[in-house]
Amino acid sequence: MSLTETAQQARRRDYRIPLAAVLVVVALAAPFIGSRYVTHSLIIALIFMLPAHGLNLLVGYTGLLSLAQAAFFGIGAYTAGLLAVTYGTSFYVNLIASGLVTGAIALPLGIPALRLRSTSFVMCTLGFVIIGQAISKNWISLTRGDMGLSGIPKPYFELGPLSFTLSGTTNFYYLALIIGAMATLAAWAIVRSPAGRNMVAIRENEILAESLGVPTWHYKLIVFMISAVFAGVGGCLYAYYLSVVSPLTFQMYYSTTMLIIVLGGGAGMISGTVFGSLLFVGLTEALRITPELRMIAYGLCLLILVFWFKNGFAPLINRFWNAIGGAR
Amino acid sequence: MFSTVLEQFVNGIVTGSVYAIVAVGMTMIFGVLRAINFAHGEYYMLGTFGAWFAIDYLGLSYEASIVVGVLATVVVAYVIGQLVMRRMVGAPAESGVLATLGIALILQNAIIFVFGGGYKFFAGGYIEPVSILGFSLAQQRILILVVCLLVFVGLELMVTYSRLGMAMRAVSQNVDCCGVVGIDVPQVVLRTFILGAALAALSGVLTAPVNVSVYGGMGELITFKTLPIIIMGGLGNVRGTFFAAMILGVAESLVATYVGLQFRDTVGFATLILMLMWRPHGLFSTQARF
Amino acid sequence: MTHTITRRMLCISTAILTIAGAVPLVTGAAQAADSIKLGIVAPMSGPNARYGAFSMRGAELAVKDINDAGGVDGMKIELFNADSQGTPVEGVSATRRLIDQDGVDFIIGDVSSSVTLAMQPVAEDAEVLLLNAASSNPKITYQAGVGGFKWTYRNYPTDENRALIVAKYAAEQRSFTKFAVLSVDSDYGRSAITFTKKYLPDFKGQILSEDYYKEGEVDFRSVLAKIRDNGAQAIIMYGLADTTPIVARQMIELGLAGKVTLIGNGEFNTEKTIKSAPSALEGAVEAAAWLPAFDSPASKAFVEKFTTTYKEAPNNHAYVHWDTVNLLAAAVKQAGSADKEKVRDALSKIKYKSPVGDVSFDDHNQARLPMILLQIENGKPSIKGAYTADIQYPAK
Repeated sequence: MSLTETAQQARRRDYRIPLAAVLVVVALAAPFIGSRYVTHSLIIALIFMLPAHGLNLLVGYTGLLSLAQAAFFGIGAYTAGLLAVTYGTSFYVNLIASGLVTGAIALPLGIPALRLRSTSFVMCTLGFVIIGQAISKNWISLTRGDMGLSGIPKPYFELGPLSFTLSGTTNFYYLALIIGAMATLAAWAIVRSPAGRNMVAIRENEILAESLGVPTWHYKLIVFMISAVFAGVGGCLYAYYLSVVSPLTFQMYYSTTMLIIVLGGGAGMISGTVFGSLLFVGLTEALRITPELRMIAYGLCLLILVFWFKNGFAPLINRFWNAIGGAR
Repeated sequence: MFSTVLEQFVNGIVTGSVYAIVAVGMTMIFGVLRAINFAHGEYYMLGTFGAWFAIDYLGLSYEASIVVGVLATVVVAYVIGQLVMRRMVGAPAESGVLATLGIALILQNAIIFVFGGGYKFFAGGYIEPVSILGFSLAQQRILILVVCLLVFVGLELMVTYSRLGMAMRAVSQNVDCCGVVGIDVPQVVLRTFILGAALAALSGVLTAPVNVSVYGGMGELITFKTLPIIIMGGLGNVRGTFFAAMILGVAESLVATYVGLQFRDTVGFATLILMLMWRPHGLFSTQARF
Repeated sequence: MTHTITRRMLCISTAILTIAGAVPLVTGAAQAADSIKLGIVAPMSGPNARYGAFSMRGAELAVKDINDAGGVDGMKIELFNADSQGTPVEGVSATRRLIDQDGVDFIIGDVSSSVTLAMQPVAEDAEVLLLNAASSNPKITYQAGVGGFKWTYRNYPTDENRALIVAKYAAEQRSFTKFAVLSVDSDYGRSAITFTKKYLPDFKGQILSEDYYKEGEVDFRSVLAKIRDNGAQAIIMYGLADTTPIVARQMIELGLAGKVTLIGNGEFNTEKTIKSAPSALEGAVEAAAWLPAFDSPASKAFVEKFTTTYKEAPNNHAYVHWDTVNLLAAAVKQAGSADKEKVRDALSKIKYKSPVGDVSFDDHNQARLPMILLQIENGKPSIKGAYTADIQYPAK
């Protein structure tokens, strides 16, 4: 959005608050509107949204194309799964632990990786996924190898004297919704802070940013870690929802899925990522009507996305935003 | 002891030759397009399927099936080149990733849709073992080695002396200037892409007799093997790619022998990351091309 | 003017999104009264499609046969298929869709164990009968039946039984003592070897080297050279069907054929495999749930019908899915209705005659299946016996 365009915008009616209210109501009522299958699809969208938010901070705001998200997603899933199965700790403990462990692992990985540029960086981050899978397969004493972790219990809470277990798809949906909303707010807060503007400066011109006194190296490293934390938290939800974690979690498929969500929704836009995760899950599930042609159609959609929606759905979302009265 | 190491070394060189032929196409495409081609292994698969089809359905000989396999891939590559690759000149890296992933999905699953998902057996080729210097090798592997050397000599000559080769080098250095001096950039991209795809297909047809099993998803693995090679070889560098492929082939072979086969697929990326720590611009790149 | 265009774009895109969202709601509503709704979850796209394709065809063939013969007590089977891509997330989505949109009461799936493990709680939650026909991870039935999941049944042998039979035969009949391991790097390959290691000391066998190959691996020369040099008498291979000919051919290349024997499982016995490398497979020992050359009228009829319908020979995955559909039909017949609860109870008590032998389920809902032991002799599989053993479950 250029400045002139925003200046010309006629602001007559502001529908943003009613719209937000409608969205909140729809999100809360979703399990009662659609079938359990719809609820399930929304949970999957929320689970993928978390690592996608992290990736959006990297790709969309800092300008670093990373494929490591699946590795951090897997580490988060394994952390939560192992804690839940071995120690039976509460859900929120495991959630925080997944985030912290993933962030801690991202630091030593990020230091060498971030020294690289463009294609080498992409391949290096892809390497993390491949090596992560090899470790999860062969470090049998910790990960149980290919047998995987199964029978991860339902989310269990212990708040002082109160303890309860959350079961059922609808309840899990609300749990995922709360975490998803918190993550979205967190991402929004990061982007809106001065740090967010520095990130954009690095994306636009790293050398210029550096010369203006932005500590680019620290920024990149911290953003890399934050994106890993988002992925780790997503991995925790994944482990609890599927109740199974296996080396298959470390797959490039997940990395590209997250990239598709971010770019499809529009990189560098928080609402774009939210929209992108819904769009991605909606699309892949809608394509199930033809199991044989499903992935072919999906591939075609990717090509359409690249050539006809160069910025994903960001322009559309922006227009919508303007149409309902928001300035930006 | 020494003979075992030597034998594994030879094994590695043979494996490396297969990787080299596939990777060189990928690296040339990167050179002109600045896009990582995640669909490159699919052309390897297409070539193999073409040859399998020629043998099983048309009853052709193996030699003829090589031609059929490569030609079929060239036709497909021409269509994809016209529709997709030409448009990718100057596109950002993430578009390249998404577009080539899309192509990979389409090709892979279209083959599964047409020929069924099950695996097929490839009949044909020269699989009788011969003994050279005390090592036992299938004749086909010697053929692969020879073809690999011929391909690389040919490519060196082409890149250095031919018009297309010079245009390729020009495009890989500065796209805008090529426009100024009248090089048709999309045309160069298209031709390079077809050449790369044809080489991948050739590699597929040549390895099919020793790899026996043919199925729609077989290309993915090759893509993953070649990705680290092209980075190590210094993106766009033909000679570097050759040596990187050989290094990876030998490293894989030694790891499979002395560490365990389960770590084999990790070797490529592990070597790559270690190498990048040491030389962030690749092993063979004379200038930074990143 | 620009404003109207924006508005129009907005309306159109909103409409498209609404329609896209509403499609699954509408299509799922249709309900047929007297039909048995059966869903198949299998990998149908991507690299794993090479296993899913055979599963689908096997099931389709069985459904077609049953429906052509008038259905089960007059009820036709309606088949729905869903793609799992071999990943747990997609498998669970596929299962959810089958249950909630297509309204199936019975599901057969998946090939990959980790997908099946993720499907189990979903089926349990929705009280839909999940029949597994191709995953060998022991955990699936450790946690089924009295172990927890009441709605999961498995009509496929676990690795334990298989490993014991092969180890015993190799040691006692072939007097092998030195083994090398070359198995697939998946829960199937790994757990079969874990069980082999459990039993091998009883037969004074030792393992000299241990290697696992990744799915899609094509180069075994390094490992085979190592095996040649360490003097193993047999290679224990729990592998994938499409890899067996590759290994066998490279054994010929390295001069191992006739010196080292392949034992384990991985479709050593099909005509195509043997033809690809006859000298390497001579004497190979395999424990299989079924083999195309099995000499029973029902099995022979299946092979013939499959080959004429699909122009390719069936494999193990095709058979187990074909057989499981028939097993389900038998259970429905015995229950006298397509009510899932009655069918489940019937299944627990069933004495089903499969083309290979009698099948019944234990209290962990694991099928007691005859395991066929065969040896390749003169380029033909020769059956050395069929074994049924009860599974020893770990104490909870």
